[in-house]
Amino acid sequence: MARKEFPPSEPGEKWEVQLRKGSLELAILASLWGEKLYGLEILRRLESDSDLVISEGTVYPLLSRLKALGLLQSEWVESDGGHPRKYYGLTALGRQRAGEMARFWARFSASLNKLLVPLGKGK
Amino acid sequence: MSDSNQTQRRIEDYLARVRKGLRILSDETARDIVAELRSHIVEKAEVDGEMLSARVDAALASLGPPGVLARQYVTDDALARAEVSRAPWTILGGVFHWATLSATGFLTLLICAIGYMFGAAFLIAALVKPFNPRAGLWLMNDGSYSLALGFTDAAVRGRELLGWLLIPIGFSVGGGAILLTTQFALWSIRRFRQAQRIRRSPGSAR
Repeated sequence: MARKEFPPSEPGEKWEVQLRKGSLELAILASLWGEKLYGLEILRRLESDSDLVISEGTVYPLLSRLKALGLLQSEWVESDGGHPRKYYGLTALGRQRAGEMARFWARFSASLNKLLVPLGKGK
Repeated sequence: MSDSNQTQRRIEDYLARVRKGLRILSDETARDIVAELRSHIVEKAEVDGEMLSARVDAALASLGPPGVLARQYVTDDALARAEVSRAPWTILGGVFHWATLSATGFLTLLICAIGYMFGAAFLIAALVKPFNPRAGLWLMNDGSYSLALGFTDAAVRGRELLGWLLIPIGFSVGGGAILLTTQFALWSIRRFRQAQRIRRSPGSAR
């Protein structure tokens, strides 16, 4: 019987993208847990502290949506360079939501990791 | 025109095109978005107080085409409105914004409008029934159905099918149609946003 051929790497890539996309909101909320940051700082934080490389055209509308949902608040602050920056911080609701998402993530990844142990030991 | 002026002009042209795509949002929201994008571009392009043309190009390219960027803001705004309040008029307002930007949005608006009108017709009929027993689902003499509210004599030329059952059936069918339409609207907007993010995420190219 002929084996079904899958297009090389395509399903894996799509799955990776879906996973990144799904974790984006949590990553943004987490990056603002301890301090207020402006858009470019959030992007840099995500790139340096996680493997999330996000398009700039994606992160700004998402910040705007999280603000509209009441999870973030923002304020304009004049920078040393002379141009204003829009800083984002978590609202009380945002902190609560970030905490809930983080707890779920920890539980979910711990249980999935158990299932993945045999895969790490090779065939 | 100097290089600096040309660079500034490119930024302002880009922002004007984004602003055009945001015209359906409130003026304050659109101004805030444009100011944030300008701040982002300037910060990425400036080196020692001078804007470098190549860096401006790179910053604009990273943000993507202005129309697509504006569409993401508008659909994200529509979804946020719908998620904060599940009221049909809020959902319709959000989908209406989206419909002005894409054919998918227009189709979704059409389906939502039909779904809400269908649901509202059954709910109103169920509400009117106790006050006007002629309200009901009528099978007309010409074989067509009519959800008449009983305020005209049109219903006389047919037979009422549900009687007082119109009240529970009207609330169930009407409420169900409104809930289903709301779910459909949320699903459509989320799916559209998801597709845009997948297409635009650099992670997908790696």
